[in-house]
Amino acid sequence: MSNMKSAHSRIFRTLIALCAAIAVFATASVFAADSYPSKPLRLIIPFPPGGSNDIVGRLIATKLSENLGKQVVVDNRGGAGGVIGTEMAAKAEPDGYTLLIVSAAYAYNPSLYKLPFDPAKAFTPIAKLGSGPNSLTVHPSVPAKTVKELIDLAKQKPGELICACAGVGSFQHMGVELFKMMAGIDFKIVQFKGGGPAMTDQLGGHSHFSLGSLIQTIPHVQSGKFRILGTGGAKRSSILPNVPTIAEAGVPGYEATNWWGILAPAGTPAPVVERLNKEIKTLLASDEVKKLFQKNGADVDYIGAAEFGPFIAGEMTKWAKVVKEANIKVK
Amino acid sequence: MELFHNLAFGFGVALSLQNLLYCFIGVLVGTLIGVLPGIGPMATIAMLLPLTYNVPPVAAMIMLAGIYYGAMYGGSTTSILVNLPGETASVITCIDGYQMARQGRAGVALAIAAIGSFFAGTICTLIVAMFGPPLANMALKFGSPEYFSLMLMGLVTAAVLAQGDMLKSLAMVVLGLLLGIVGSDVDSGIKRFCFGAFELADGIGFVIIAVGVFAVGEIISNLSDPEERVVFTSKVGSLYPTLKDIKQSIAPILRGTGLGAFLGILPGTTPSIATFAAYMIEKKVAKDPSRFGHGAIEGVAAPEAANNADAQCKFIPMLTLGIPASGTMALMLGALMIHGITPGPGVMTSKPDLFWGMIASMWIGNLMLVILNLPLIGMWVSLLKVPYRLLFPAIMVFSAIGIYSTNNASFDVYLAALFGVLGIAWRMFGCSPVPMLLGFVLGPMMEENLRRALQVSNGDPTVLITRPISLAFIVVSVLILVVMMMPSVKKRRGDITG
Repeated sequence: MSNMKSAHSRIFRTLIALCAAIAVFATASVFAADSYPSKPLRLIIPFPPGGSNDIVGRLIATKLSENLGKQVVVDNRGGAGGVIGTEMAAKAEPDGYTLLIVSAAYAYNPSLYKLPFDPAKAFTPIAKLGSGPNSLTVHPSVPAKTVKELIDLAKQKPGELICACAGVGSFQHMGVELFKMMAGIDFKIVQFKGGGPAMTDQLGGHSHFSLGSLIQTIPHVQSGKFRILGTGGAKRSSILPNVPTIAEAGVPGYEATNWWGILAPAGTPAPVVERLNKEIKTLLASDEVKKLFQKNGADVDYIGAAEFGPFIAGEMTKWAKVVKEANIKVK
Repeated sequence: MELFHNLAFGFGVALSLQNLLYCFIGVLVGTLIGVLPGIGPMATIAMLLPLTYNVPPVAAMIMLAGIYYGAMYGGSTTSILVNLPGETASVITCIDGYQMARQGRAGVALAIAAIGSFFAGTICTLIVAMFGPPLANMALKFGSPEYFSLMLMGLVTAAVLAQGDMLKSLAMVVLGLLLGIVGSDVDSGIKRFCFGAFELADGIGFVIIAVGVFAVGEIISNLSDPEERVVFTSKVGSLYPTLKDIKQSIAPILRGTGLGAFLGILPGTTPSIATFAAYMIEKKVAKDPSRFGHGAIEGVAAPEAANNADAQCKFIPMLTLGIPASGTMALMLGALMIHGITPGPGVMTSKPDLFWGMIASMWIGNLMLVILNLPLIGMWVSLLKVPYRLLFPAIMVFSAIGIYSTNNASFDVYLAALFGVLGIAWRMFGCSPVPMLLGFVLGPMMEENLRRALQVSNGDPTVLITRPISLAFIVVSVLILVVMMMPSVKKRRGDITG
C-alpha cells in the first residue's frame, strides 16, 4: 500500500517537474533574443502629433523597425499632459510589444497630478534617448545683455518683468520656476496654450523674456528678433557653443534640460529589455540619427537600462522640490 | 516690377515636373482627408512627415501646404451634402449649404464653395507675395488686450446670428461659453468641469460637438420623420450655378475674402472664427436675413471664401517670421528645420526658391483643386441618391472613425454620441446650435486673453481702451450694440422674427 503510494507520488512529482521544465523552456523560447519580436510592436507617444515627444518617438520607431525587422507602430495617445497615454502603457501587457516614449514630464507629473498608476513601480526603464536644453531669451527692447543683468533688472523692478510661458505644468514652466527660485527674483509668469503662442507674444514685445526650448528660439535668435542670454543645460549646447549656460552666466547650479526616454510596462522580461536596449544603443550611435536630433535642437544622450532608473528617480526628486517650493497646483 | 520678377521665378520653380507632382499629391490627399470628418490636416501631416525627409525641401513644403489647403476645400463637401462638417472650419457651411442640398441645390452649393475658395486663394496668393513681411510685423502688434477686444466684437456681432427667440439664442451662447470652460484653466492649471476625468483635461474638441450636434443629431431626427427622408433623397436639381447664383455670390465672396485675409494674418485666431464672422456679416448686410438658415447661397459663398483666405494668409506669419499660427503650421516649420532650413525672415533672401516657389505653388494648387472639384460635383451629388438605409449608417461609421482618430480616444466617440442626443433635444425645443458653437469658440479665447491682459496691466482694465487697436474694436462693439438697441432696428428685428 505504502509502496504503491510512493510510486504514485514519484510519478506525480516527475510529471510536475516535467511540466515545469516545459514551461520554463517554453517561456525561454518565447523570449529568446532570436525569436523576439515575432509581431509588430506598439510605441505609445503620450502626446498628440507635432511636439518634441512625437518627433523623437517617430524617429526611434522608424529606425527601430529597420533594426528589429518588425514594424514599430506609433500610437499617439495625447491628453492631460501625457497622463492618458502613460496610463495606457502602464496597464498594457508586459510582453515587450508595448513601449512608451517619455520626457521630463514623466518625472514631474507625479508631483502635479494624482496619477491613476504608481509611477515608481509601473515601468521598466529601457534607455534614455536624448536631451535638449531650454534657452533664456529676451526681446531686444529689454536692456539686459547677460543673465546677470536680467537678474539685476528684475531686482530693481520686482514683479514687473513679464515672462511668457507655455502653460501650467509644461517643461518651460518648471524651468522658469526653478530659475525664479535659484536666482531669487520676482517676475510675472504669463501662461499661454503652448510654446508657439508664448513665443509670438514675446516677438511682439508684449512679454520681456522666456525660457523656451532651444529649437523654437534659435530661428529668432539668428534673425535678431530675440537676444539669447544663456542655455539651460549642464554644459553648453553643441548647437550654440558660444552661448554660456545659465549656470555659468549667473545662476550657479541651474539646470533645466528636457529629456526623452523609452520605457516598457513593469514585468517585461529581461531578455527583451536587453535586446531593445542593444538595438537602441546601436541606432543612437549612427551619425544620421545624431544629426536629426541636432536639427531638432537636441542631442543624443544615451543611458542604458541600469542607469536610466536612478536618473529618473533623481529627476523626480528634483522637480518635486520645485513644484512644492513654487507651490504649483493643478489638481 | 520686382514682384513680377519674383513671381515668375516662383512659377519657374513650382512648374517643374517634380514639384507639380508633389503639389498634386498634396491637394489630392488634402481633399480626401477634408472630406473625411475628424481626420484633420494635422494628423495627416504628422504621419507623412517622415516620408518628406528624403524629398527636396521645396517639394516637401509644396506637398504639405497642398494637404493643408486641400483639406479646407474638401471640408465643405460633406458639410453641404450630409450636414457633416469634414473640417472644423466648415461647420458654418453646414447651415445653409445643407439646406441648399435639401432643396436639390447641392451641386450649386458645391460649385459656389469651390469658386469662392479659388477666388480667395488667388487674391491671398497675391497678398502673401506683395505684402507678406510688413503685414506679419503689423500682426505682431496684437497682444492679449487686442485679441480680447477683437473677440468681444465678434461675440457682440453674434447677436445678429440670433434667429427667432432672442432668449433662446442667448441661452445657447451662454451654454457654449460654459462648454468652452471645460478643461484645464490656462492661467492656474486647475481643471474645471472635468468631474475627475483626465479625458476632459484638455477640454472638449470642437469637432466632437460639431459632428455630434450636426451629423448625429440630423440623422436621428431625419429617421423620426419618414416624409423628410423622401424629400431629401429624391430631389437632386441642377449641378451648376446659374448666372443669378453667381451674381448673388460675388459680393459675399469679396467680403469673405477680405475678412478671412485680415483674420488669417493674425496668428492668434482660428479659421472657424473667420468663417463665423463672414457668415454674420452676410446676415447683417442681407436685405432679407430670414433667408439665412434656409439655403441662402451667400451663407455658403462668404464663409468658404473666408476659410480659404484665412488658410492661405496663415502662411504669412509662418513664412516671413517663422511663427506657427496653428499646430499644423508648427509641423510644417518642423519639416523645414529637419531639412536644415531655419524658418524666419531670412528664408526670403537665403532660400528664394523655397519662398517664391511655395507662393506660386499655392496658386497652382488652388487651380488644381478647382479642376479636381468641379467635375467631381456630379459624383458627390449622386451620393445623395444612395438610399438612406445605406447612407445614414455609413455617415455614422465615418463620423465615429473620424472622431476616434483625432485623439485615438474612444471617450471622444461617446461624447459625440451624447452631443447627438443633446442636438435632438435642442432641435425639439427650437434652439439653434450655432450661437452655442460661437460661444464655445470665442468664450475660452476671450477669457484667456482678458485675464492675461489684466495680469500684465496689474489688474487695470483701462489697458483695453488705452491701446489704440484695442480701443478701435471696443468702439465698434459699442456702436453695434447702440445700433441694435435703436427702436427702428429693434422693430425690424421683430418683423423678421415675428
